[in-house]
Amino acid sequence: MAVSVEHPAGRRPGLLGAIDAKQAVTAVLFAAILILLALFAPSFFRRNNLINVLVQTSSLGLMAIGMAPVMIAGGIDLSIPANMALGAVFGALFIEAGGNPVVGSLIMVAAATLVGLLNGVAVAVLGMIPFVVTLATMTVTTGAAVWMTHSVSVAGFPDSFFDVLLARVAGVPVAVYVLLAALAAVGLAMSATPFGRYLYAIGINARAARVARVPVRAATCASYAVAGLLAGLTAVLLSARLGSASANMGNDGVVLDVVSACVVGGISIYGGAGRVTGAVLGALLITVLSNSLNLLGISYYLNLMIKGVVIIGFVALDGLKRRTA
Amino acid sequence: MTQAAYLRMEGLSKAYPGVVALRGARLEARRGEAVALMGANGAGKSTLMNVLGGVTLPDEGSVTIDGAAVHLRSPREALAHGIAFVHQELAMLPSMTVAENVFADGFPTRFGVVDSARMHREATTLLARLGCNLPTGRLVETLGPGDRQMVEIARALRRAPRIMIFDEPTSSLTSREKARLFDIVQGLKRDNVAIIYITHFVDEIFEICERVTVMRNGATVADRAIAQTSPADVVHLMLGEADSAERLADASTGPGPVVLDVANLSGGLLRDINLTVSAGEVVGLWGLLGSGRTELVRALIGLDPIESGTLRWRADSELQPITPANLHRIAGVVTEDRRGEGLLLPLTTRANLSLTSLRSLLYAFGVIDRGKEERLATDMIGQMHIKVSGSGQTVGTLSGGNQQKVVVGRWLATNPRLFLLDEPTRGLDVGAKTEILKLTAALAHAGAAVLVISSEPEELLRICDRYLVMSRGRITAQLPGTANRTDLLAAVAAAPTPSRAA
Repeated sequence: MAVSVEHPAGRRPGLLGAIDAKQAVTAVLFAAILILLALFAPSFFRRNNLINVLVQTSSLGLMAIGMAPVMIAGGIDLSIPANMALGAVFGALFIEAGGNPVVGSLIMVAAATLVGLLNGVAVAVLGMIPFVVTLATMTVTTGAAVWMTHSVSVAGFPDSFFDVLLARVAGVPVAVYVLLAALAAVGLAMSATPFGRYLYAIGINARAARVARVPVRAATCASYAVAGLLAGLTAVLLSARLGSASANMGNDGVVLDVVSACVVGGISIYGGAGRVTGAVLGALLITVLSNSLNLLGISYYLNLMIKGVVIIGFVALDGLKRRTA
Repeated sequence: MTQAAYLRMEGLSKAYPGVVALRGARLEARRGEAVALMGANGAGKSTLMNVLGGVTLPDEGSVTIDGAAVHLRSPREALAHGIAFVHQELAMLPSMTVAENVFADGFPTRFGVVDSARMHREATTLLARLGCNLPTGRLVETLGPGDRQMVEIARALRRAPRIMIFDEPTSSLTSREKARLFDIVQGLKRDNVAIIYITHFVDEIFEICERVTVMRNGATVADRAIAQTSPADVVHLMLGEADSAERLADASTGPGPVVLDVANLSGGLLRDINLTVSAGEVVGLWGLLGSGRTELVRALIGLDPIESGTLRWRADSELQPITPANLHRIAGVVTEDRRGEGLLLPLTTRANLSLTSLRSLLYAFGVIDRGKEERLATDMIGQMHIKVSGSGQTVGTLSGGNQQKVVVGRWLATNPRLFLLDEPTRGLDVGAKTEILKLTAALAHAGAAVLVISSEPEELLRICDRYLVMSRGRITAQLPGTANRTDLLAAVAAAPTPSRAA
């Protein structure tokens, strides 16, 4: 009989270190940006610009909230922005043709949710690889949006549409409230409902989850539907802010921003870890980064390079954390 | 003892944190002979072969080849000493050709370009030596397991090895392919190669090996000529002497009604499985590794597909048909791979315990009631004596025994009437093993039906009311709860081993 001593087969202290490192990097980065702004672009702190930053954050944040459950379950949805644009175009065409703006908004949400559901079926039921499926969906939805609009913006929203969606309550735009409400709802779903627990379980170890009776297919499928739903909500708010809907709303750069928001916000690209709140804070950081680089007069292209480097840095930290786990 | 050993491995020890993999193991192989390396799961065969392959550095011990001490610090050095492996789960490149696979670890080149003509010519020669005339341009993915193995052997032969290791070579072969493989092994012996043959099928070694080395718990317990031993001896050596194992529960005299009835189940490795399990009964599923024990449990709950057969489950006091997926919804399942298929290691003990019961812990709006969840976790921790600092302790930091209790506790919380336990005591120390066994007996005592797998007969003997003996995917015998160790070993050694049809 083996007289082996039971040993705490667990994680090494390096893990905690890595988490701290990641949060520290985020904090330092944030502080550095703010200091630079204070020194060189104090106009950043003007009330109007701050509100503008929040509004910009709301679009990216909503999409990041949609991405969070998918990534936590170990998947990825690259089609979110393209899907958002397609939904927006659908609804806008309906409204432009004289449809009720409320119904038009619902069409935006429903169309995007449906596309999300199709992604979910492809991944969860047909067992396709999320990266490839959603990349293809991205192309298809973008193509459809361009084809339907002939690359022209669809405007013609009635004033009532803007009156409601661009209103400010206590000085804060509606979009920010929608962001906070979505954060509360999805955050609660992820942290306190069986659905959320299932997604974490799937992201950590799908085989173990299956043995433990977790409805792996249904939950995975639903996570993509949630991503679609949030893309639809974004479509409504962004159409109002831009005054029109177009295929270009969800250009390729936006996908990268959504993934970065999640990764910077502490959601592991490998699944199983992270919080929805983190994704929103990540969206805030990415937005501030873009906004400040703008204000500092840094070229758009350098801006892209800096963002790319930041993302690579965070993915590297994520990998480091995984290896020490 | 006709000649001196060509390969001699002596006094090899290797310890990992908390686990001793090898303790003074030894192995000898002679040219022109095949030595069988036998041992139960975890006996140390793999570690010993990893030492020989240069993959694992031993803490102590020596390896000598042809009388000279060698240090095998990398697979490359092992190769340089004429050691070649034929792996079990063939590490092949399916989308490449036969010839490319044979030469995958070093293509013949001319001016830096792969010399395709020479590669195909040499691959053809190597395969011909195996009596095999596969077209070398064929893609490996179009080949069956037997032909793939020929490619794998050709790859090993390419370096003109003097020592060849076959790791469970027959596990996926048809009887004809097996006969061909045995011819090849005989041919290699005539070519004066020293062969180490690893298998779980005791009958095979009596066909093609001259000697047998048996390992148990990291040590070599026997090294004998095949002519001087018997299948029963070998099984006995592999599994060791009985520990002083008293029964933890009396064999139940009158179990309750049959709750699960399996008829003519086939699929994958499994062939025509018939069994019943009754309430309040612990049924031991006994057989050597590879006999289909784990596959049976997985098929019952739909983790692996089945081809045919019916399951019936007692509901409303009669047996009614049930699908494996639905059986999964009502059975508690402990898989053999606790870390890979059981726990969510980064999460808390509480979250791991509550995972199967979340839907019964809800209050308004489908939100989990944390209070209820905490009570469930504390209850289970108390009931099962799980040693944790608190329900919030990360499960990955618990000891093996406590981790296993978390897995069992998770199911216990759902109050199932059927438990399927696959090697529930694997990797646990003696104390933790006893605790898990006691728990198993207690489950049945409380009225659940329990189907349990273990590689250690002593463990089954302590808790089982009945035994089903498996071999090569079939149930070959049934033994009563009064069976003793000798009966169990005899049942395995005597098990007919029909070769599987193609």
